[in-house]
Amino acid sequence: MNTYNMVKQRFIKKWINTLHMLDSSIEHPLNVTERKNAIRLSSDLAIAAARSGSTVWSRALISRSGNKTTNKPMARRILKKARNRMKNRCRTLRRNGNFTAKVGVRKRTEFLKSLVPGGELIDDKDYLIRETLDYIVYLRAQVDVMRTVAAVDLVTGNVTNDRRNK
Amino acid sequence: MLEGLVSQESLSLNSMDMSVLERLKWVQQQQQQLQQVVSQSSNNSPELLQILQFHGSNNDELLQSSFSQFQMLGSGFGPNYNMGFGPPHEAMDECISRTSSCHMEPVDTIEVLLKTGEENRAIALKNKRKPEVKTRGEEKTEKKIKIEAETESSMKGRLNMRNTEASSDTSKETSKGASEIQKLDYIHVRARRGQATDRHSLAERARREKISKKMKYLQDIVPGCNKVTGKAGMLDEIINYVQCLQRQVEFLSMKLAVLNPELELAVEDVSVKQFQAYFTNVVASKQTIMVDVPLFPLDQQGSLDLSAINPNQTTSIEAPSASWETQSQSLYNTSSLGFQY
Repeated sequence: MNTYNMVKQRFIKKWINTLHMLDSSIEHPLNVTERKNAIRLSSDLAIAAARSGSTVWSRALISRSGNKTTNKPMARRILKKARNRMKNRCRTLRRNGNFTAKVGVRKRTEFLKSLVPGGELIDDKDYLIRETLDYIVYLRAQVDVMRTVAAVDLVTGNVTNDRRNK
Repeated sequence: MLEGLVSQESLSLNSMDMSVLERLKWVQQQQQQLQQVVSQSSNNSPELLQILQFHGSNNDELLQSSFSQFQMLGSGFGPNYNMGFGPPHEAMDECISRTSSCHMEPVDTIEVLLKTGEENRAIALKNKRKPEVKTRGEEKTEKKIKIEAETESSMKGRLNMRNTEASSDTSKETSKGASEIQKLDYIHVRARRGQATDRHSLAERARREKISKKMKYLQDIVPGCNKVTGKAGMLDEIINYVQCLQRQVEFLSMKLAVLNPELELAVEDVSVKQFQAYFTNVVASKQTIMVDVPLFPLDQQGSLDLSAINPNQTTSIEAPSASWETQSQSLYNTSSLGFQY
């Protein structure tokens, strides 16, 4: 329980930082979609930064996020220790959305590769599963924290709305 | 703006204010309207069809719960987005609550894994390895995952050697195995009775056993894997879980975007201690909680227990920039805005 809480705390610290940095480098006002993308991007970078280890998925997530926005300097600033070694190879990452095969471990492995960031670069099925495991833990932490924050926001939002209406 | 909301993929909003009964009723409603959802949400049909075909009948509950998220697209938003959306959250809770089915500590996991792998080996030696295994359990998540993977294989190698040696060397070997965590030594596989003994089949068998061990380990992480056997099925579950989590992230980020007109989190001013207290407070929830560590995270209640978070210390949304002085300071400052009427 303690180490998972530590994961969550690391994540939220990084997330606040990344959100703040993103906020300062993007012009306002934004519509909901752009805000959502910014939040998603910042939280993805935050889990990758919280991991900041030798995992494929964290580096791939960083480079993928870096490709999506024009904020590569910001991404590198956030992740001082993580290197973008995978950047070139990760440019061809794309999600396989039309997967319809029903049988076969091989096809499922390929699909899992498309889900986990950086999965396509892993040939060893063994290692892929290990990466997936690690990724799941951090993904889970992301979900838990975001849900908590959203709940807190809901409560404070109600209060703020009431105050505005008065 | 509402049209933009509606066209999003995994949108729904929920509140924690619903009672359990209302949520249950809502979930039943959702389940009845499954087909409607599939036809309505044309944007999502490729993915939903893919999910339907892919997962078969094993994951009906999970599918329906994830569909209930999409149900919100058809039911419209409006200014009342605060009300009545417990169920999608509950749906996600169902996704997550499957963790409650595995009541195993990672330490126990290792022991189980070692047990199953050692059918033909001396079981007495396991007791000597237990203290070492338990110390493993205290390490951090990411290291633990890799260490366990390698420890199993190195232990396996050690174990076979031990079978042929005196047991007095065991403690030395285990400490040796502990120090050589990152290196994968030669895997000594003992051929069982009546099986081929040439090198290729032995190596192949070692590789297969390693993979199956990993599969079992993942089975403990990903909820609901216990009923499914076979690699394809377990990969199914893993893929399902990863997709579920990613969809939740998408949905939660949209929710946060809606709730925060400016890009910030209202949580900065909650101090670390209170955050910790909040997380540990949630332990007493109605759903069963995983005992240990990183792999079985806490389930959160449908209705949050916010008593741990002092309401006087949350910022208002109206004054974002004022509360961020320096990075380190801003994380843990408390403001006195709160409820002042």
